[in-house]
Amino acid sequence: MRLTAILSMAAKAAFPKDYRYGTSRPWTIAAKRLNPPGKKRRKMFIEPIAYEDWSVFKGDTVEILSGKDKGKQGKVAQVFRHRNWVILDGLNTHFRYIGKTADYRGTYIASEAPLLIRDISLVDPTDRKPTEVEWRFTEEGEKVRVSLRTGRIVPKPVFQRRDGIVPQQWKDGPKDTSPEETLEKTYTPSLKTLEEEVMEKLGIEEPRRNRKTY
Amino acid sequence: MGVLNALRRGIVRGADRMAEFTSKRGSRTHYKGRGAQPTGVLTSSRKFVPIQAMIPQFVVPDLEGFRLKPYVSYRTPVGTEPAVTPEGLFSEAVAQQIQKDFEEGSFDKEQLEKYGFEPTQEGKLFKLYPKNFI
Repeated sequence: MRLTAILSMAAKAAFPKDYRYGTSRPWTIAAKRLNPPGKKRRKMFIEPIAYEDWSVFKGDTVEILSGKDKGKQGKVAQVFRHRNWVILDGLNTHFRYIGKTADYRGTYIASEAPLLIRDISLVDPTDRKPTEVEWRFTEEGEKVRVSLRTGRIVPKPVFQRRDGIVPQQWKDGPKDTSPEETLEKTYTPSLKTLEEEVMEKLGIEEPRRNRKTY
Repeated sequence: MGVLNALRRGIVRGADRMAEFTSKRGSRTHYKGRGAQPTGVLTSSRKFVPIQAMIPQFVVPDLEGFRLKPYVSYRTPVGTEPAVTPEGLFSEAVAQQIQKDFEEGSFDKEQLEKYGFEPTQEGKLFKLYPKNFI
């Protein structure tokens, strides 16, 4: 019993408390090479930002405040909350070779480096300048981001699915139930189980009972 | 490198003695099933006699006019029905009848069977506890 417990602990300890997250997902080979089990690195100090106070989302337009591409605006491609990182499309890039084989030197591509939240600022949609943003409630009760300089609402970017499906423009296939039929309420509450109801409907009578087992 | 050190690094030596011994392990002469229910009886002459009542049969009602399909459209908004709770089921199925009877004056504490109360599960085909159906 102790051995399986230890093995399950070893499997669960894939993300210990001091696991250093990188840009690769933890189950990939690159991440496993950086974080083999048992490796301890210096503690990474990350500014704690509460879940409700997080202001940057994937698809937002932000401006870089410091670094190589200072002053440029870009769209957020990926957000890492555990390290307060943000990766912008095509900005803050360095170059590397990818797909290198024994005889081929590989393709030279630009790969983006992550930026800290502190070096990023959301852009006001009206005057397209960087602003500080605060979470406030509208009169309807909706939580929105408000730019402190101008007071305009910064709308949340539209969430795009990875498979490219836009739900409102979906055309139903032959095996799809339409929304009206799905949301139809046909349940009549009753104290019978499903099996008893089906038996009643089909007129099946079962007078035999199971023998009592002890 | 001691045992504790190896454990701390996440490497444990030796076979897992607590793993389930399934039919995939053991020699090729080792016969073990995976827990299928029998559908008949083995007689003394080692002949297997299937019993029709033990073979499961699907009872499907007539699906005439049934409009639900296997998949749901992406355009469907998230539903807002509350989850079915015992209290909710009681209040929808039984409470109104009890209230009506109480107001008429014909509510009897000793005769709760007419509202669906079952004092024991004995004699029922589908018992709720211990549950004898899946």
